[in-house]
Amino acid sequence: MILLATNWSHVWMVTLLGFGLVFLLLVVLIYVLKLFGLIMHPRVKVENPQDVHKSVGTQRKETSEKISLTGQATAAIAMALHLYYNGVHDEEPTQVTIKKVERRYSPWNSKLYGMNNLHRD
Amino acid sequence: METNIWQEVLEFFQTMGFMQMGADFLGTGWQQLVMLLISFFLLYLAIKKQYEPLLLLPIAFGMLLTNLPGAGMFHSELWSAFLDPQSPAYHSYGAILKEGGLLDVLYIGVKAGVYPCLIFIGVGAMTDFGPLIANPKSLLLGAAAQIGIFLTFLCANALGFSEAQAGSIGIIGGADGPTSIFLTSRLAPELLGPIAIAAYSYMALVPVIQPPIMRALTTKKERAIKMKQLRSVSKTEKIVFPIMVTTVVALILPDAAPLIGCLMLGNLMKECGVVDRLSKTAQNELMNIVVIFLGLSVGATATGASFLNLKTIMILAMGIVAFGCGSAGGVLLVKVMNLFTKEKMNPLIGSAGVSAVPMAARVSQQVGQEENPGNFLLMHAMGPNVAGVIGSAVAAGILLSMLG
Repeated sequence: MILLATNWSHVWMVTLLGFGLVFLLLVVLIYVLKLFGLIMHPRVKVENPQDVHKSVGTQRKETSEKISLTGQATAAIAMALHLYYNGVHDEEPTQVTIKKVERRYSPWNSKLYGMNNLHRD
Repeated sequence: METNIWQEVLEFFQTMGFMQMGADFLGTGWQQLVMLLISFFLLYLAIKKQYEPLLLLPIAFGMLLTNLPGAGMFHSELWSAFLDPQSPAYHSYGAILKEGGLLDVLYIGVKAGVYPCLIFIGVGAMTDFGPLIANPKSLLLGAAAQIGIFLTFLCANALGFSEAQAGSIGIIGGADGPTSIFLTSRLAPELLGPIAIAAYSYMALVPVIQPPIMRALTTKKERAIKMKQLRSVSKTEKIVFPIMVTTVVALILPDAAPLIGCLMLGNLMKECGVVDRLSKTAQNELMNIVVIFLGLSVGATATGASFLNLKTIMILAMGIVAFGCGSAGGVLLVKVMNLFTKEKMNPLIGSAGVSAVPMAARVSQQVGQEENPGNFLLMHAMGPNVAGVIGSAVAAGILLSMLG
């Protein structure tokens, strides 16, 4: 009875037209975005891969001649990367505080045994 | 004198909620008791399990307040009169302000469609549309994931719901709480409580619902696909994007303008960089205040009479179907697109098309890393994810224009 009471032609129309419209509107947006991207972010001209290889090869030679890292610098960079990626680097709390720091008692910092006390006597 | 004191005490006892509940226990009393228990359970889920606590907690508490006998904080009969053309209080907010309780007054914001739009301003201010601008094809996935809405619309019609009710139930598949509330308050306000609860519950259950569907529809090889890094997006593009989307969408579909317009307004405030104070307010104070009002008033609509019936169970069941179909739709569209394109996409990002920002994108990342720990899909999945927000708002606008 329920199935018969429903206006199925309208239901199907809403379903198909509705979903189609969602798609259509978002496809329109895709094209608008692509056009927008072309205007705002023009593509960099890609060179011919063979030319690129040649130029990269010559550049590599030049840079390897110019840049010469010492073993110590390389080790320092490697260590920094290791500490950064493994989260080993200790982080300072970076909090400035005016709270009094309580020092635990020790005979080594006691005024009683300080040199000044001897002078007072 | 003695008689008067006893009479006063007796009258006081009669005003107690316990007495009111007990007096008509077989009528509405048991329904109120069950609703109170449900609200306790939802509070437990929000606090202990942390299922969307920011919204589930006020919703559950609104449900608790509205089902307290004698508290008179929400009057569903006033809202029935508000919708009845024969009633003298038809469409009269004055009658609500005069006779309503606190939750009735707060509910005006839902009824007028104000809260969902204000929330969308905050959502926009917190969203980065960069991945979508960098890869506009993501919009297709956002569209495909809306198939859940329309399939559920068909199912709900077959189960005897009216077309307006079926549209409101279907929108759960958009996995977007404010959109669901916006559309339901316009099309089927009587179902607002169950639909809001279903929408937010399933959004919280994204990490449980989606992964089995994603794994079932993809092969190991597909899940391990690595995608090309997205291009960088300039600040100007990010500023022009919200203005352009609002103009295009509102000109094609004016009914979607309130939601899309507010979403893009929030985003423009964030991206333009000249109204930082407004952007921060939209992200924090405005959003938080509206969430409290929205949650409380939506929870208040879940009275025993409107919630405890077969329809609610059917809505909850169809909600999960809507959500599952939407997730599957996105994944399947990526697979189809991969047949025709050179640069393969990972099908896992398709499921993020069902809005639920950013949870759905995180799920794509998580499932992708299970197959290939070196695969970072998060930014790729954010494209369809934010496209899903636009897609569900557009679907809501279409349903509103066709069924409203």
